[in-house]
Amino acid sequence: MEAPPVTVMPVTGGTINMMEYLLQGSVLDQSLESLLHRLRGLCDNMEPESFADHELVYLLKGQQGNPFILRARRSLLDPSVPWHLRYLGQPEVGDKSRHALVRNCVDVAASHSLPDFLNEMGFRMDHEFVAKGQVFRKGVMKVVVSKLSRVLVPGNTDNTEPLSLSYLVELSVLAPAGQDTVSEDMRSFAEQLKPLVHLEKIDPKRLM
Amino acid sequence: MQQREEKQLEAFLESLVARVAHLKGSLQSFIYKLENEYDRLTWPSVLDNFALISGQLNTINKLLRNEKTPSYKSQVIIPLLLSPDRDEELAKLTEHRVPVFSHEIVPDHLRTKPDPEVEEQEKHLSAEAARIGPEVAQKQIQALNKLCSNLLEKLNNPREDRDSETSALRQNKPSFNPADTNALVAAVGFGKGLSKCRPPGPVAPGHPGQPMMQTGPTLQQVTIAGASGHQAGMSGPVAPQQPGQPGKIPSNIKTNIKSASMHPYNR
Repeated sequence: MEAPPVTVMPVTGGTINMMEYLLQGSVLDQSLESLLHRLRGLCDNMEPESFADHELVYLLKGQQGNPFILRARRSLLDPSVPWHLRYLGQPEVGDKSRHALVRNCVDVAASHSLPDFLNEMGFRMDHEFVAKGQVFRKGVMKVVVSKLSRVLVPGNTDNTEPLSLSYLVELSVLAPAGQDTVSEDMRSFAEQLKPLVHLEKIDPKRLM
Repeated sequence: MQQREEKQLEAFLESLVARVAHLKGSLQSFIYKLENEYDRLTWPSVLDNFALISGQLNTINKLLRNEKTPSYKSQVIIPLLLSPDRDEELAKLTEHRVPVFSHEIVPDHLRTKPDPEVEEQEKHLSAEAARIGPEVAQKQIQALNKLCSNLLEKLNNPREDRDSETSALRQNKPSFNPADTNALVAAVGFGKGLSKCRPPGPVAPGHPGQPMMQTGPTLQQVTIAGASGHQAGMSGPVAPQQPGQPGKIPSNIKTNIKSASMHPYNR
């Protein structure tokens, strides 16, 4: 029996409906050191955290409308840590007065049987990739600099190929809806990274 | 009305002076550390100082860009007293940088005209301009206007600066590639460019009249995905399943062919 299509928002018991404010950009491989140097000077923590994650994007196709997407992520550096399950809503670009992309964000930790659980529910893995890089923090802001790699053999994370000659740079903040001052702070921080990186709100629909 | 403006100007001036004093204090403290504590100065401490100075500069920038800030350009500064004698109060106020406010110091501190060298250059240019004819002058004026409009257009549209041709002309090393940005955002957003796990196959129409046929391959597809996911996620549980593997391999192949030919899932 196939699982019924999910037509309502997932229940967020006990937590505020969190929104993720996001700015994205990229930096060429040869300029990565300059960016890391500047981020170390501007951000809070002096020793950035390195990560190597394997992300699997699962799809639950309903009878009509857009499929329901869940993102599962596990660490390749420390296989004992829990999996990370995330739901990301449709991004809203808004008008020019809002300086960041806004989307719904629900993320929880999960056990190692997450892939089996999702498959039993009827999800299918649509695509996967490996992300390696570093995470910086400045107040409530998070900066992720990551190298994205394509997985050549499904499930085999040792055999990967970089997607491009650049690193992806993401500046994000998790906050309740309606916090427009957040995007102002993000914009100010993004200004400090120019001209090394131009962080902007990029609409994924425009790239389809 | 004028009194309110004066009060506003004084308030903003006080605020600016205070912020500049903070910045100066930070710089002095940092320079002192560099000169006297260099042996036990740590890298994080240096970065903390840079971050502090950066923050203070941003604060001053915000204050100056504030719309309510009165325009300092329209203000006039007039010296009330000039004296060749040493002024202790002035020396104290300027930290011994300006001990005397005499007639020879005024040109340096309160100059309103360009430097004499610049004035001389301007005279030279004026004489040269008088020599050329009106036609040549008109052509040069048009060329300059064109250059200015091009420059203004580039300043008003920062995106054009990211053009590779412009970057090559300026001989500046670009630090990012817009095409890469779009490719990476698309990959993270909806998996563009990432290999799909589903087997490619012809698009077959559905069978609405036979619901049982639809659910069968779906369940089998789920089983296949579960098996591959299981193997990808953990290596331990694979060992207990070894006795069952010889029996499963043919059924996997058979089911895969069936699902590919009948019900491929297309986005």
